[in-house]
Amino acid sequence: MLSTTAGCGSLQSSATEVGGERMTDDRPVRDGGTLTVALNADPDKLDPSLAQTLVGRTVFAGMCEKLYDVDEAGKVVPQLATALPKTSPDGRTVTFSVRKGLKFSDGTSLDAAAVVTSLLRHRDLPGSARATELAPLKAVEATGANTVKLTLKQAYVPLTAVLADRSGMVMSPAALKKYGKNFTNHPSCVGPFKFVERVGGDRIVLAKDPNYYDARDVHLDKVIYKPIPDGSVRLANLRSGDIQVGDQMAPVDVKSALTEPKLQLFNSPSLGYQGIGLNVGNVKGLGEKPGKLDTALARDVRVREAFELSIDRDLINKVVFQGMYEPACGPVSPESAIAPGVAASACPKRDVAKAKRLLKAAGVKTPLKIELKTSTTPENSRLGQVVQAMAKEAGFAVSLRPTEYATMLEETDSGHYDAFTSGWSGRLDPDGNIASFLQTKGAMNAYGFSDDETDALIERGRTEADPAERAKIYGELTRRANDAHALIYVYRQKNYVVAGKDVAGIRVYGDGLVRVKAAGYAK
Amino acid sequence: MAAYVLTRVRQSVITLFLVSIVVFAGIRALPGDPALALAGEERSPAALAAIRAEYGLDDNIVIQYGRFIGHALTGDLGTSSRTGLPVSDAIGQALPVTLELAALSLLLAVVLGIGAGIVAAVRRGRPAEWIANGLALLGLSVPTFWLGMVLVLAFAIAVPVFAASGYVPFGTDPLDNLRRMVLPAIVLGSGLAAVVMRQTRAAMLDSLSADYVRTARAKGLTRREVIGGHALRNSLVTVVTVLGLQLGHLISGAVVTEQIFVLPGFGKLTIDAVFTRDYATLQGVVLCTSAAYILINLLVDVAYSVIDPRIRLGGAK
Repeated sequence: MLSTTAGCGSLQSSATEVGGERMTDDRPVRDGGTLTVALNADPDKLDPSLAQTLVGRTVFAGMCEKLYDVDEAGKVVPQLATALPKTSPDGRTVTFSVRKGLKFSDGTSLDAAAVVTSLLRHRDLPGSARATELAPLKAVEATGANTVKLTLKQAYVPLTAVLADRSGMVMSPAALKKYGKNFTNHPSCVGPFKFVERVGGDRIVLAKDPNYYDARDVHLDKVIYKPIPDGSVRLANLRSGDIQVGDQMAPVDVKSALTEPKLQLFNSPSLGYQGIGLNVGNVKGLGEKPGKLDTALARDVRVREAFELSIDRDLINKVVFQGMYEPACGPVSPESAIAPGVAASACPKRDVAKAKRLLKAAGVKTPLKIELKTSTTPENSRLGQVVQAMAKEAGFAVSLRPTEYATMLEETDSGHYDAFTSGWSGRLDPDGNIASFLQTKGAMNAYGFSDDETDALIERGRTEADPAERAKIYGELTRRANDAHALIYVYRQKNYVVAGKDVAGIRVYGDGLVRVKAAGYAK
Repeated sequence: MAAYVLTRVRQSVITLFLVSIVVFAGIRALPGDPALALAGEERSPAALAAIRAEYGLDDNIVIQYGRFIGHALTGDLGTSSRTGLPVSDAIGQALPVTLELAALSLLLAVVLGIGAGIVAAVRRGRPAEWIANGLALLGLSVPTFWLGMVLVLAFAIAVPVFAASGYVPFGTDPLDNLRRMVLPAIVLGSGLAAVVMRQTRAAMLDSLSADYVRTARAKGLTRREVIGGHALRNSLVTVVTVLGLQLGHLISGAVVTEQIFVLPGFGKLTIDAVFTRDYATLQGVVLCTSAAYILINLLVDVAYSVIDPRIRLGGAK
């Protein structure tokens, strides 16, 4: 994974080509100034234990450092910890040290006890969104002023990657004690910027934190995050200079931005995927045991395979996303540093003749009616229309039902659907892209997919320490997922970030976050 | 008089109570589980159960309503399930934005609409009338979103006179405030200006052909006195009535305008709350709006009764 650093590069072609990447701009910057970053949604709670959204993670990247971080190559590197954790031979004891002399934004000191408090809170707080990923954690203790020992119920290899996300954020125990559940309105962590204020739906303001250990390398005085859901409005504001950075720009807006000499583009491959979920056994709702569903799609895997074969991933990328995303046919990105997935070039090609043969062999009366729920974004509507047209040629009559987000969640989780557009922003460790979706009891297995071998492989993947063996396990899991055709992986988004040309030092990595620590206005 | 006012207050309280029930039940009738919307990407059964417990979503709807109304009576509208911010704070921050936007749009609509209406009536059959009519047609037909984007492209990007987005309170920086509010006010006010223009023109045409105008002319009054002092004054009664009726549209129309110009007003707050099934915020917003409507009605009725005592007879026995 290469990063193209640019002196004064504008919207470079490498950034818009499939496979081209541009994650940083290393021009020297001057001190001072305010950077306004437009997000595509209003973040939820600013509490690392409760937060759920990708945009929220972007705000945390400005104010809450983690025990570990991801570098531009997608590798886990220490951040608040001094080095990668040491794991015992049986994988059940993990130890690490935290850096000395660090201070939270409220002025109190970070030590091992603070790490223990935070990890236990992430695991135990009612409603914690971190509870599942930290469930294997049996005990946490401070073995010294700066050393922490974790005892696990079983070997859990994804732990380091988990600690490179919100579970690894350390909160000020003093602030937790003072504010309790209201910590969300007074978040205090170790980070380049500290929380100043939040006006719901309008802005979140951070200011340079003088207590930050690396404050000399922080150049901006302030960072303001503004939710602007509409892509064209975000672009207009970039053009007018009212905002300096536009996060999560859609391909169509990036293409428009290409004409603007005052703007520059950053991009990185994403760790997630987008696809079409099919209901193969969700009869009683999420969390319940999958059952038998009396639809052609659920009954016969050949029908699902036919549906997948009717789709042309390359054409979808070209028509719907201006060729700026990548075709995908597996849960794990080929760019992943841990057990990379299937390359886009290896995805199965469209084969209408075979699809028709499969439908005939399955004894299905055509045209076979399928309702596809799509989200209400223009891109998803176009995706639905293209899939509808393609599937028609193979013998499917796809009807589209644009469904608003909250309703979609309820209907798909309860099993009231045939097919829906299903996506995931992605996690560093492949386990985070697979387990919740394909494990029989997975928290997001809305497909009702259940396969003993898959369940066993997922467990093995979590406990296998040898990277080569793990890669094999996730390769096998990908193969099994593709053979089941319950979740058809279609494309992988890229993280497109447009910024003013006078802004340098922002970092856009594969985790999709905009890092502003080193950002500033070019000298 | 006091008895009449008391009766009207009592009726208003009952209305507000009924509205609160309708609002509460209506919001819960929306499809989509708020716990799911809140849990978002990472929903596990345990997390969902905890969310439901925290916001009392598992309780009987009557108990939920009782809790809501009990808190509301003490001025506590709850906290946003999404952001954790107090709903009353969110409303307090959003209300001035929407009120200023509505006021500026109204001002624009009155000035432009009445001005163009007078010109169209006085210059009947001439190019000025065609232009005014054409502009009114445009004002009524152009989609808000499109007009907003065109204005941003023209006046915030090509010729950067105004800002493309954001809100700065008038008290903090009056100039910056206007720089940010003029374009949204034009977008929101243009439709209303068109309606006002058409009403003014029609009313003025009626007035200009009326006997009292002919008499005024015969008395030798100047053109300005005839149009401004006689025709316009009489025409304004109809125009003001229409303006009153359009006020509600102004508030609802603010929803789109606030999205285009990223104004943190009531419209944006409501939309965000609907999409995230943020019950507390949605209840608070709708209840406050209803209370405002009821209060205005109450004040208007009381004012009428002061002006015309006969009106009281219907209410006070």
